Amino acid sequence: MNKTITIDPVTRIEGHAKILLECNEQGAVDEAFFIVNELRGFERILVGMEAHTLPQVTARICGVCPTAHHLASAKALDNAAGVEPPPAGKLLRELMYMGHMIHSHALSLFVLAGPDLVFGLGGEAATQNIVGMVEANPELTKKGLRVRSIGQKINEVIGGRGIHPVTAIAGGISARLSDDQHARVSALSTEAVTLVNELSPTIKDMLLKLLDDNPVLLDKLNLPSWYLGTVNGGKLNVYDGLLRAMDDTGAVRAEFEAGAYADYLVERAVRKSYAKEVYLDVDGAEHMYRVSTLARMNVADGMETPLAQKEFEEFRDRFGRPCHNAILQMYCKLVELVYACEKAHEIINHRDLRGETRVPASIKGTHGIGHVEAPRGVLIHDYKIDAEGIVRGANMIIATQQNTAAINASLKESGADLLAGGNDEQVLNGLEFVVRCYDPCLACSTHAVGQMELTVEVAHQGRVMRRLAREV
Amino acid sequence: MRRALIVCIGNDLVGDDAVGYEVYQLLRRRPLPPSTRLVFLGVGGLALIDEMAGEELLVVVDAVNLGGAPGALHVMAFDDIPQPQTRPVSGHGIGVREALAVCQRLYPEKAAAAVYLVGIEGDDFSSVGGGLSEPVEAALPKALSTILGLLDDVHEMNLKRGLLGKTETEAGRGQ
Repeated sequence: MNKTITIDPVTRIEGHAKILLECNEQGAVDEAFFIVNELRGFERILVGMEAHTLPQVTARICGVCPTAHHLASAKALDNAAGVEPPPAGKLLRELMYMGHMIHSHALSLFVLAGPDLVFGLGGEAATQNIVGMVEANPELTKKGLRVRSIGQKINEVIGGRGIHPVTAIAGGISARLSDDQHARVSALSTEAVTLVNELSPTIKDMLLKLLDDNPVLLDKLNLPSWYLGTVNGGKLNVYDGLLRAMDDTGAVRAEFEAGAYADYLVERAVRKSYAKEVYLDVDGAEHMYRVSTLARMNVADGMETPLAQKEFEEFRDRFGRPCHNAILQMYCKLVELVYACEKAHEIINHRDLRGETRVPASIKGTHGIGHVEAPRGVLIHDYKIDAEGIVRGANMIIATQQNTAAINASLKESGADLLAGGNDEQVLNGLEFVVRCYDPCLACSTHAVGQMELTVEVAHQGRVMRRLAREV
Repeated sequence: MRRALIVCIGNDLVGDDAVGYEVYQLLRRRPLPPSTRLVFLGVGGLALIDEMAGEELLVVVDAVNLGGAPGALHVMAFDDIPQPQTRPVSGHGIGVREALAVCQRLYPEKAAAAVYLVGIEGDDFSSVGGGLSEPVEAALPKALSTILGLLDDVHEMNLKRGLLGKTETEAGRGQ
């Protein structure tokens, strides 16, 4: 402990997120907290709004996963009205969502995790980024970025032009697909399937090499936990289905509709943290669980599309069920990326796609709960609506919040080793890597230029002893 | 060929992060020089690459947190835009510089020739639904005239070269 800086750890977070390591007298890590900027304020501002506007308003909560909020919200309104969208409405929503998934997973895989794959671990952070990756492997990067761009375009065509989708409404989708849009998405989805087929063997090779080169990763990031993810007929599904809870031995312990989430998920306030931890309440005990791609791959029995199923089987043969290793989220994203491209292609060629897209929906004086699998895991929207159609209560369960307990556990484990042996740079690198493996959505709100993404504070008895941050 | 692209970035629901959105709303209500395209994005980063179409000028408007007084205006040419030293841990962490560098390398024909960041120093990046803080609100007119000034410079240049096209404003994009 070379420095004593006293700041109140509960004051406003300066960047997107903060890691707080609580140490004992000997400097060993007692507890670790991953603290993100508070999201709860969003629920308060929804109260008093007209409920039918929520799919559009909630899409603006996050620039990274707007479509997940858009669709969870529309589904909550369907549920409130007691209606099911007609087949074309459901297909179009799912197609929009595949676009979003393709975009989000390609961004994570090629831009955020890509440098780890291309350069390995432990080098200069300043050059090991997307720019360095373009220099080192322009062809791979170009294809990866093209996949990202295709996803965004599909999302835009179906969701309405712009970063925030607007077409999903209570009861379905507000507009039918034109011939022109159909032709465009058809061409884009064909290209996406071709590209991921070319990319997946390369990415897989790089990932396996990373694991071979760093055997300690498979050990350190192996954190047994429960998992929660959505399945439809047992197959992985990101738009609709039942929530399946699996324990740390791989046994399915519960399956429930999103509407029953309050019976299974318990929120707990955590000391020194704004964020609450969420636990699965099954058989009278509370269990730490994870959501996101790894969780979905664990709970699912298989994939709906042929190429993704092949990838799924290969993954399972190699890593078993359940697989507890956070670093393999990258691999899981690859499988889901293949799935999303194939699924988009399947939907655009579906014979029911051009039919009626919406049914009338009355949402006055009702209560509705809807969910999707956001790219980062289970996302639930829950609204109480009064007789005038005004929102009187709103609750959202977001992915990162559900993973917080597991992130904290992994940070404690890694933080202890890193603090014992590393300089500031190594500690930051190591902890950032852990956080990146969990792929949290950091403070859906802020992104200002110059703002620090992540800072680390080391504290003893509530006093911050050491503060680690990079210069901006 | 388009001459200028203005990209406003922000989250209209969150404190001073909304400043890019507010500038966008002001700009879309007024006439812009010919061949100027106006776009709003929730998060900048690599989405900038999708938007660029070989413009001579790219102006990015965003909230900044560089330690200045709230409401302070920064006009930075490409080389002065701060480059993050850290690896991004989320899609929020990718900035204008990286997007430009990637674009120049992979799609040189799309990359803007000149890039400016018009950054408005924010104060509050955590409260939700409360609107802009007072000093940031007060900085809007100056931000607007600065952006229009940058556009005029390019417009003048093109007039001299006889390169004028027509205005193309994509108002409503992103909303």
